[in-house]
Amino acid sequence: MKITLDGIGDITCDEGKTILELCRERGIDIPTLCVFEGLKPEARCRLCIVELDGKLVTACSTYPRDGCSIVTNSERVRKARLMNAELLMPKHVNACSIDAKGESDPLCKLIYDLGLTRIRFEPIKKYAQDLSESVLRDDNKCINCGKCIRACSEIMAVHAIDFAQRGHDEHVSPYCGHRLHDVACIKCGQCIAACPVGAIYEREHLFEVLKVLNDKNKHVIVQTAPSVRAALGEEFGMPAGSLVTGKMVAALRKCGFDRVFDTDLGADMTIIEEASEFLHRLEKGGPFPMITTCCPAWIKFMEHFEHGLIPNMSSCKSPHEMLGILAKTYYAETSGLKKKNVVVVSVMPCTAKKFESTRPELKSEVDYVLTTREAAKLIRHFGIDFTSLPDEEFDSPLGISTGAGVIFGATGGVMEAALRTAYEFATGESLGRKLEFEKTRGLDGIKEGSVAINGKEIRFAVAHGGANIRKLIESKDEYHFIEMMACPGGCIGGGGQPWPTTKEVLGKRMDAIYRADRCLPLRKSHENPAVKAIYSEFLGKPLGKKSEELLHTRYFKRDMF
Amino acid sequence: MQILRKTDLEAFRKARELGPAGVISLLKEKGLSGRGGAAFPVWKKWEYTLNAQADEKFVLCNADEGEPGTFKDKFIIKNNPETLIEGILIAAQVIGATRAFIYLRGEYEHLRRGLERVIDSILKESKSEVEINIVVGAGAYVCGEETAIIKSIEGFRGQPYFKPPYPPVEGLWGKPTIVNNVETLANVPQAILFDDWIEDLRLFSLSGNVTKPGIYELTEGTNLSELIALGKPKNRIKAVYFGCFGGCMPYAAMELSPEKVCVKNCAIGSYSIIAVDEKQSILDVALSVAEFYAHESCGKCTPCREGTIRIWELLEKIKKKKATNDDIDTLKDLAEQIRETSLCGLGQTATTHVLTALAHFRNEFVKEA
Repeated sequence: MKITLDGIGDITCDEGKTILELCRERGIDIPTLCVFEGLKPEARCRLCIVELDGKLVTACSTYPRDGCSIVTNSERVRKARLMNAELLMPKHVNACSIDAKGESDPLCKLIYDLGLTRIRFEPIKKYAQDLSESVLRDDNKCINCGKCIRACSEIMAVHAIDFAQRGHDEHVSPYCGHRLHDVACIKCGQCIAACPVGAIYEREHLFEVLKVLNDKNKHVIVQTAPSVRAALGEEFGMPAGSLVTGKMVAALRKCGFDRVFDTDLGADMTIIEEASEFLHRLEKGGPFPMITTCCPAWIKFMEHFEHGLIPNMSSCKSPHEMLGILAKTYYAETSGLKKKNVVVVSVMPCTAKKFESTRPELKSEVDYVLTTREAAKLIRHFGIDFTSLPDEEFDSPLGISTGAGVIFGATGGVMEAALRTAYEFATGESLGRKLEFEKTRGLDGIKEGSVAINGKEIRFAVAHGGANIRKLIESKDEYHFIEMMACPGGCIGGGGQPWPTTKEVLGKRMDAIYRADRCLPLRKSHENPAVKAIYSEFLGKPLGKKSEELLHTRYFKRDMF
Repeated sequence: MQILRKTDLEAFRKARELGPAGVISLLKEKGLSGRGGAAFPVWKKWEYTLNAQADEKFVLCNADEGEPGTFKDKFIIKNNPETLIEGILIAAQVIGATRAFIYLRGEYEHLRRGLERVIDSILKESKSEVEINIVVGAGAYVCGEETAIIKSIEGFRGQPYFKPPYPPVEGLWGKPTIVNNVETLANVPQAILFDDWIEDLRLFSLSGNVTKPGIYELTEGTNLSELIALGKPKNRIKAVYFGCFGGCMPYAAMELSPEKVCVKNCAIGSYSIIAVDEKQSILDVALSVAEFYAHESCGKCTPCREGTIRIWELLEKIKKKKATNDDIDTLKDLAEQIRETSLCGLGQTATTHVLTALAHFRNEFVKEA
């Protein structure tokens, strides 16, 4: 197919690509706000206007015809884009003084780039903010691009929010105008990741953390999730996929945390308990499939929509809760600290962990949860030049970890780590160098495979993204062991990660995670010396009385509405 | 009136003998075009749907007659529903559909029971296997747009989506669907059955400052003065509006045909004429039409959602004598922007009334400014 693009004729291009895609391939920048990577275009925002044979069309939803002429930069096109931007702005600009997305707010950047200098219209309506736990909304900033709704319904299959009213009154709303807190929202934060204007954001724990850091009586411990080290660098301008473990530890220490521990150790503990639980179920004959419980958004998803699965769920707490309770018991006891003076702060890629830390049955383990973005804010708040920091090591004893703990950050990682340990526990044989379970890896929505343990075929499956989770639940009975992660890509694509999380960025973060695993001397959870010490000195044995009391939890039925 | 002639299932039987290809070529020969406003040839739409490959196809009758000043579909549903249902059965037979839907305007709910009775008796008489469901709208103007109807019937928000794909390829539940207006479908049996059927006879909905408003059946190209005379206005007529979306023009003795009206930058659309006499201010009319569009915008795309309310704001400003010349320029820019960059037909025509009023009656705006 031949087209004329900006006056240059005879350009050969592939069929089945939109004008937007063709232009981007050729380095022509067209502004858009509502395009959602991987989903069909909706053509709502009308900013990607181009001229197609003399008619104004939206580049995101229009396919060129053979012999057509496209103009992307005429005065008419620029004027049309500018006016649509001007129409969007009154509401947003009024509420955008301290923007949740900072300099990366795509709308404000786009407006700046378009050169919009006057806005002739005043905002009309003021909306009340939706101040819920963990995920907050401010409709005053919203520009109705609909991306949060698409993330919630098409990616996550949760349907907690949709548009209400029509015309200028149209706004995003949870079911029947309730607060997000009161509806079946799983707090995954994918809406936050999708929002181009910062109208949905996490409840920040930054001020509370700064307060305890200033309190001389408190012993403040910070722990960092596996996926944070693969993404935090992006906040400081480093390329996606940079592993910044050492710099992250150094920066947090500079912020004044008394100890910097690694959630990977919690992950190793989870694996020991979970693998033991799985082997126990194998002996007992069920119930199968056993399903992982590391992801608090998945837990809430299950409690709302699939509570029939409660008996199938592993009873293990999530890794950061395990590390939190160990810090307040084991670590506090061995270091002579009073439990009430120990404060645990988790740096997580996740907004659902914020909700998890407020669950009544888990309230005492972790005090505050910061997202990756908030951690970066904290580091900037202290004026630390992150990129030039020398690498430092985690503190002992709760900072020693294995490759198995690191890969928790990517979809399929929990399964792989659990299989490494379960195999060796059950067979008594070493896996040798064949540690990689390739079937659990990659970004396919649902992955499956099988492994023979003592002559029995164990079928496992992995799903990430709510829509894939729903699909896998339909065929759950075919498997013995299932890993579920609510966010696409697992924790590396979490709702608390730096913007933007594109497919490309996701792939790079994933590479970084597996790179970290390969580089570590210890790659199996049960070989972690700290884990061994915790069991011999403190807990006794996996699934023992003390382990059950400290490391395991229960789940509840929640309503659909 | 031609539209009220009964066909008594004769056309249905004839269509069965002709077969799908025969019906389509007959409709092509007779030249029947759509009466919803876009005047798309019926045979073409049906042929696309017939040729689309799918396990299921649907017929959808658009009875969401929401255009202000248009009431011809109501007239047909009240006075000749049998022919309408027969038209639906013929369409279903041509494309091989087993289910058809009538999307009835929310405000017409009182017509539902009567229509259901007619459907029952016709289905019994024709021994047709087609299931005809009536879906009542919830009062949104935009649900007269074919893709919005489809979303509404599917149970989603009644909002349009961009075309292509057009409904004959991907319609209800992604299946090929014929979407035709009531008047179009009611004309199908008559065009098939009667040799003296005339395509040029149209239903004009006349309203406004006339003492005899109503439905008049006249040929296309009838002089506007003739139609207005039938309405017996009390005062001198100053302007006519073609519904809300077709825009306005000064009243003059001229032919009423799409081409002639187009010269005045108006669109004749569904042949509704609203007469405005000299006692009315065009600004007042513009204000109430602008309010209508701001209220009926579905909210999906930026220019229509954010723009229609600004048009209303600017007109209010002019009305309150607080506007400057810059505001009138902004009004014109904005009106053109909404027309050129909106997603669906609602937005694209929501400001025709402002643009034509500014072109033909600018003094009434400047006087106030």
